[in-house]
Amino acid sequence: MSRSTHLIRLAAAVAAATFTATGAGYAQDIKLGFAGALSGPASFVGVEIKRGAEIAIDEINAKGGIKGRKLVLISRDDEHNPVKTVAQYRELVERERVVGIVGATNSASMLAVAPIVNDTLKVPVICPATDATEITENEAQKQGRDNYLFRVGMYGTGQANFMVDTMVKKFGHNKVGLLTWTGGWGVTGRGELRRRLKENGLSPVGDETFDNNDTDMTPQIIKLKNAGAQSILNYALVRENTFVVKTKEKLNDGTPYVSAWGIAGPAFWKAAGSSAEGVLTSTTVTIDGPQSPERTAFINEYRKRHNEEMSAAVFAVGAYDAVYLFKTAIEKSGAEPSQIRAALENIPEFKGLVKHFKRPVFTRTRHNAVTEEDMIMTRWTNGKLLEVKFDSQGPYVETDASTKKYIDKTTMKLL
Amino acid sequence: MRGMRPALIALALVSLTALPLATGGTYYTYLGVIIGIYGIVAVGLNILSGYAGQFSLGHAAFMAMGAYTTALITKALSGSPVFYLSGAHVWLGILCGTTVAALSGILLAIPALRVRGPYLAMVTIAFGWVVWKILQEWVGVTGGDLGISSIPKPQIGTFRLETRHFYYVVLVFFIAALSLQHRLIASRFGMRVRAIKYSEIAVSSVGVDVYRLKVVVFVISAAFAGFGGTLFAHQQNYISPDNFQFFSSVFFLLAVLFGGAGTSLGPVIGAAFLIILPEMLHDFDHYRLIVYACLILITLYVLPRGVMGLFDLPVKRKIDTRAGIQPGERIESLPPVAGANLRVEALSRSFGGLLALSDVGFEIEGGSIHALIGPNGAGKTTLINIVSGVYRPDSGRILMDGSEVSISSMHVAAQRGIVRTFQTLKLFGDMTVIEHVLIALPSRSRSILYDAVMRSRRAREESESHLHQARALLHLLGIAHLEQAPANSLAYGHRRLLEIARALAVRPRILLLDEPAAGLVAEEIRALAAVIRTLKQIGMTILLVEHHMELVLSVSDRITVLDHGAVIADGRPADIRRNENVIQAYLGPSHAAA
Amino acid sequence: MRAGPHSGPHHPDELLKSGMYFFFQIALSGIATGAIYGLIAVGYSVTFMTTKALNFALGMWVMLGGMLTYSLTVQYHVHPLIVLPIVTLSLFALGLIAERVSVFPFLRAGSDVWVMSTLAVGFLMIDVAEIIWGRNPTPVPPFFGKDPIYFGAVSILPQQLLIIAAACATFFGLDFFYRRTLTGKAFRAVAHSGDVSSLMGINTRRVEATSYAIACALAGIAGFLVVPLTLAEPQLGTVLGLKAFAIAIIAGLAAPRGILICGLLYGAFEGLVSGYLYTGIRDILGFSIMIIALFLRPEGLFGVRQEERA
Repeated sequence: MSRSTHLIRLAAAVAAATFTATGAGYAQDIKLGFAGALSGPASFVGVEIKRGAEIAIDEINAKGGIKGRKLVLISRDDEHNPVKTVAQYRELVERERVVGIVGATNSASMLAVAPIVNDTLKVPVICPATDATEITENEAQKQGRDNYLFRVGMYGTGQANFMVDTMVKKFGHNKVGLLTWTGGWGVTGRGELRRRLKENGLSPVGDETFDNNDTDMTPQIIKLKNAGAQSILNYALVRENTFVVKTKEKLNDGTPYVSAWGIAGPAFWKAAGSSAEGVLTSTTVTIDGPQSPERTAFINEYRKRHNEEMSAAVFAVGAYDAVYLFKTAIEKSGAEPSQIRAALENIPEFKGLVKHFKRPVFTRTRHNAVTEEDMIMTRWTNGKLLEVKFDSQGPYVETDASTKKYIDKTTMKLL
Repeated sequence: MRGMRPALIALALVSLTALPLATGGTYYTYLGVIIGIYGIVAVGLNILSGYAGQFSLGHAAFMAMGAYTTALITKALSGSPVFYLSGAHVWLGILCGTTVAALSGILLAIPALRVRGPYLAMVTIAFGWVVWKILQEWVGVTGGDLGISSIPKPQIGTFRLETRHFYYVVLVFFIAALSLQHRLIASRFGMRVRAIKYSEIAVSSVGVDVYRLKVVVFVISAAFAGFGGTLFAHQQNYISPDNFQFFSSVFFLLAVLFGGAGTSLGPVIGAAFLIILPEMLHDFDHYRLIVYACLILITLYVLPRGVMGLFDLPVKRKIDTRAGIQPGERIESLPPVAGANLRVEALSRSFGGLLALSDVGFEIEGGSIHALIGPNGAGKTTLINIVSGVYRPDSGRILMDGSEVSISSMHVAAQRGIVRTFQTLKLFGDMTVIEHVLIALPSRSRSILYDAVMRSRRAREESESHLHQARALLHLLGIAHLEQAPANSLAYGHRRLLEIARALAVRPRILLLDEPAAGLVAEEIRALAAVIRTLKQIGMTILLVEHHMELVLSVSDRITVLDHGAVIADGRPADIRRNENVIQAYLGPSHAAA
Repeated sequence: MRAGPHSGPHHPDELLKSGMYFFFQIALSGIATGAIYGLIAVGYSVTFMTTKALNFALGMWVMLGGMLTYSLTVQYHVHPLIVLPIVTLSLFALGLIAERVSVFPFLRAGSDVWVMSTLAVGFLMIDVAEIIWGRNPTPVPPFFGKDPIYFGAVSILPQQLLIIAAACATFFGLDFFYRRTLTGKAFRAVAHSGDVSSLMGINTRRVEATSYAIACALAGIAGFLVVPLTLAEPQLGTVLGLKAFAIAIIAGLAAPRGILICGLLYGAFEGLVSGYLYTGIRDILGFSIMIIALFLRPEGLFGVRQEERA
């Protein structure tokens, strides 16, 4: 056998092998995808999203699926690495033929996939986490093209606006200090907080940051205290915030402490314990205090399945809603990605776990389901994350159905 | 096996070219692009860590330099219609990005390469960390943790290269990177680089400025990484500090080690494996690290030299592989040497309060064989170390042909014509016998790096003549039949002779032999004596430090005796033999009685 | 000095705002952090001196020590004083196994891949820890309560004080170990020259394995001490291990006592930069200084210059 025929045969074999690998996988099931951190430090976000979505999918399948077709979740671990997220999004769409994706766990990952989703893959994505504003307000949106990225989670601009406005307008604090994490989320958050303070005619009295591995925040806390901060606004996740409140306790510092939604779940109280008492957290969802029946059912189902509390309810609840939004859209328009996208922009009302949307969830120009008006401020009170409500006498929380406890505006202590 | 190589290469090229066509969609193509880009970075790291043995755990930083530079430049220029229509901004950005990475490579290499081993690893880790932090903190320029998005896609004219087009661009660059690595490593430059891994001090003993060579290698490596970074930025259209974390640097080093450090294809195999493996392990997501770790451990067990170590296909070194000297081939006789006169005056040196040499002075006549003897600890090796530039003396002067010379380091000594051998052998591991000699031969060329890359006709001619000279030297020492043998496979006596051959290749005017007869058998010592006499005949000055008195007395013209760091006698062998001081201090009382 | 009640002693505001208070408070907190770095960093030195290899995953061993402490104290309510020997011995034993599996075969073959194999063992440990203990950070109560101890106005947690004390004990203990004990003397002999010491009848192989296991046990002790200050989680040791490595290198791998001092100083430096400058540039400054320090003293600040023998 001559060398050239040998070569051709080999090449043909290689080609054939690759074709078989890619050709497979068209089935009757409707597939949804997820690519996020399922290992590493950020994995708790990914795990919550996956668990939330799975509960929704199992519920739907138990009731006969979508028009008789079973719903399936294909999940991938991107290790919090945008390069992998891009690869896996391509794989999910091209090989697994998913018709919708439930976000990722990392804003940088979403920013990396956004142009590919809009230009090449053209499959709708609903993000329960990842709050960088530009994810949904992307190039396609600005140019008026079809935008395939949606969000049921919080978005950066709205969250910062809500935090600043609540402290300045409702609590009357004009001397606000910032304490943010140098990691991804903190950097954007810091910028957004500064912007909103400026829009309120203020500038922060102190602006400190900390690192992933800081376990003692003494310098930062003393500086903010000496700067006369009436409250400290923070962007960080559970572990960093734990170190902040522990340091505050060590230094006997009582300055009110207000955090973005990174600590809006039982994991924070579990880690920080009573040091967390009185910490305020802005969020979209709290699973403590009075709940709707649907949410109670979800919380119970979660406990039953995993034998533990949700570490961050916002992500699980958001993923659950994302799946139901996909279901609603698919039922309306069929399981074709571009039609699902169009249908998502036309859901007039949606009873979700995050909230009951009595307006269109998304519109052509607004791809964030939750706006700053939908945010709530919560206070860590004896292990529970209770919503802070306001009446004529000031802010209060309901420790049980019948007890109102008012909050001191300068110390955040219960009166 | 060798006959299969062209076929294998052709097959690889055909499959690589066909990949985007053979697979639907962009997933495989995208993975191919990423493997190609990471492969380029890994190839650059392989030159530094695999071949030169200098570990870097900061290469992600150079990639970041390239990526951010091109991102900022192309974004700034993309508005202008000239660039919008020509697409030149992207290629300009790639060029600038690579340059910036190379320049930052210089900046780091200068302090970093003063240290070795884990210290070097830490300096590179620190650098990677600093760059990564700056990317995060300098929000105004780098966009902080959210990075830079909407980086222009590469374009040719107005034609925009999508992933499936860019694949071919990366493929071409990738092949170019491999062949560049091949050229570098197969050249004399590459031999020196590889030799560094085994003994820096021996490389500098043949007149190579090792520090400078390491800096050059480091910069080449950084440029590869930077170049890979620029391609990465334009492929992804989005970069953030996440891409260039410490773990990315670990990834590249793992790729090199896993594939086979110091093999031509190892880093590529490693990169491909480490990218594809997790893609195949989706079902094990929760146990990903366990699977990963076990695979790495098992592979390391089975393949301690990496995957390519299994095939042991080192770069085909461009050396004629004929074994030994062919019948009828003319052996060039060694050209005459103008042996220099060497005088040391009042040399002193102490180590932590211990006086190793005190006020030592003597003279070696040009073209003579001068022996330096003395009991253990007399200061003989210290003296050789000072004359050959390993240590600086605390005081005293060294004069060559009557004028004072400053010998600041070994390679300076070698460049002045003072070359030495080592008491404890310092050979270059598994490099072949003839490579040891070729490394040391002086080149007329200004830049052997330029020669390596360009392969000019002049360079080819020179390498031809080098081959002849090298063979002549091996012949002189009687080890010509071993020219293709790896040094670490040689018998002890042959290793000694190879050390001398390597030193002679530098064409020394003064040759310092540090106990050349140690460990040799009688027959070998006789051959050694013959070699030393031949060298004298062509005019070389020889300083012989030796314990073997028979050899010393039979070849030396003059002998200096050291004891406790001071000269106790100096004269012709016959005089020394009778000198009372020497007999007392060195030969011992029993000899005196005899 | 007195242990304050939970609410702490009341000092006038002027005192708390004074520069002196600020300086001492952040310096002391920094030193406490530095003591952690130092304790971990010593482990690198112990193995490097005898084997010239490093356990690149030492941070993960810190984590393992911490997680074991968490399990025993929180889940099984074992007293810390009993936990300490359990952690030490079990990590020592695991260290022996890990050395046999992931270092020895490669060291013997003269290969550099122990870089990779020790990392692989580290990955393995992270994943196993995630499977056993889950991913969520969990607190471990401090051994001596969480009420700060006051030196005047300056406060420090009892656990931090304990770590500083442990660092000091290690400082003197190392000296005792290397100079007075037979094992320690064997270590020094092997560090000086493996060939010669094996001629002298020292079992170099055993010294290598023991030194690796001792480093693991030390890391475990560090984890035991640190975990009440941090949180018990699989990612606990990753960054700590890296910073400790940096400190071991700045000080010089052959100078264990210098490493401890460097650790304390580096911790104080970190605190002061955060206090007087800005946290964001802390690591940039710290690591840049490290590069420059090594440029000026390649053998480390406390290392002894070893001229290459020709």
